[in-house]
Amino acid sequence: MAAPIVAGVDVGSTTAKCAILQDGRILGTSLSPVGVDIVRDAERSLDAALVEAHLTRKDLAFIAGTGYGRYKVRFGQLVITEISCHAKGAVFLFPKTRLVVDIGGQDTKAIRVNASGEVVDFAMNDKCAAGTGRFLDVCAGALGYDVSELGALSLAARKPMKVTSTCTVFAESEVQSYLARGKDPKDIIAGLHASIANRSLSLIQRVGIEEEVTFTGGVSRNEGMVQALNARLGTKVNVNPLSQHIGAIGAALFAAERAAAPDAGKVAA
Amino acid sequence: MITCGVDVGAGSTKAVLLEDGKRLLATTWLPTKGQTSVAAKTAIETLTRDANLLPDEIASICSTGFGRYSVEERNLQVSDITSSARGAVFLHPAARHVLDIGTQSSRAIAINERGRVLKFKMNEKCAAGAGRFVERCSKYLQVPPEDMGARACLATNPRTISSVCAVLAETEIINYIAEEVPVQDILMGIFMSLAERGHALMKNVGIQPDVVLVGGLVQSAGMVEALRRTTGLEVHVDPRMHHAAAIGAAMLAHMRLEKTRGGTPSMPASGRGMA
Repeated sequence: MAAPIVAGVDVGSTTAKCAILQDGRILGTSLSPVGVDIVRDAERSLDAALVEAHLTRKDLAFIAGTGYGRYKVRFGQLVITEISCHAKGAVFLFPKTRLVVDIGGQDTKAIRVNASGEVVDFAMNDKCAAGTGRFLDVCAGALGYDVSELGALSLAARKPMKVTSTCTVFAESEVQSYLARGKDPKDIIAGLHASIANRSLSLIQRVGIEEEVTFTGGVSRNEGMVQALNARLGTKVNVNPLSQHIGAIGAALFAAERAAAPDAGKVAA
Repeated sequence: MITCGVDVGAGSTKAVLLEDGKRLLATTWLPTKGQTSVAAKTAIETLTRDANLLPDEIASICSTGFGRYSVEERNLQVSDITSSARGAVFLHPAARHVLDIGTQSSRAIAINERGRVLKFKMNEKCAAGAGRFVERCSKYLQVPPEDMGARACLATNPRTISSVCAVLAETEIINYIAEEVPVQDILMGIFMSLAERGHALMKNVGIQPDVVLVGGLVQSAGMVEALRRTTGLEVHVDPRMHHAAAIGAAMLAHMRLEKTRGGTPSMPASGRGMA
């Protein structure tokens, strides 16, 4: 009998990600925005990934939900925290991972993991927008760019500016005053990335710096942010085109475990 | 002898003229708009004109507030904590605790009967609990800042809004708007979030009555009501408290002159100020 087909749906504060897996192979993924109707957005996320995999919901043996909006994945049979899912997903894509840095739309986490992809320790900032994707979003707005343009622009920076405000609201004013003084937006953006890398480092230091680091979450798609983190950590962090989907992949892996051993008890917290 | 106090804040610039350290002759305020020196100059010129004075009739000018070092006309400068404390006692002699909510920072100050600072705690790292947050909410809710307070007082079911992060609070507000929560319930939630943050600072310093509110939100009935609900304290309110720091600065300018009795005030920008 073929291995069961499973899905993981990661409903974040800003985007929903879905991954469909069979026997450790990724059959389809999706990435879509999250708005006010989270239940509907979670459904759309699943359906988009099914379309890519040429499958229907009937083909799925098990669905797991994760992320900030995981309780809105009403069609799922399992709910797991995104911390467990990022750990599992990161070790799946990069087996030597011992530290996961997840920078999402509304929170940032540093997660220490073992070789089996289990969480050893973690630290997070989910109280404040400083150092999150939201910080970049707001500052991109002040600069008149879309957040997706920031990475490429910052790579062309010549003299990164120092952004001293931790608070997103004050950083936005700081960006505006730099612009008013005629500073190059590219240099300002590089400064924003460095500021987030600094902020991440303080979280990372709380769990301990580990040898192999995997960068996950939406902000990991920003090449300038990857470089800033590399510079701050003095290492080369793992990134993958599916870095943003690592939480969904992790959820799908938990779903696969559950599908294979339905009576094996609780999979994860 | 007439002295002038100029309080250059992140949001607005306030200035006053004081005679003999006792009588308030004139007050003015204008938005700072990021131009600290220009705002201060304009404020001083306005006061001089309103009071029918010649510029050299002002014996000394003391600046305070975040932009105090850019006031070219100043003879001395003091921190806004020192000046708010002095000004609060000038306007309300029984004041022993000052909550000062500014555009970009907020502070709780314990003071003695002479208006000297005993202890203070401030938040300047984050926009939560500061006036800037209220300004942004005004835009989101499309309620002019001056109307926010009165409308908040109509709230029947105030909603909880994060007092930790102004940006995440905005998301909460947008969600409430989407859920069609009445505007007044959101507004009161906003003021309660500020009050909660202010109360945390106040408790840290230690609360002694009378408590006075200082800063631009003194005219906001919603802010005062939210403080009452959150702290359970009677908060003394006086619209002139918007100028408390400027008044305190003018008082300190007068005291400095008294000390150097009869002599001309020190030259501009000399000394390190009083705080």
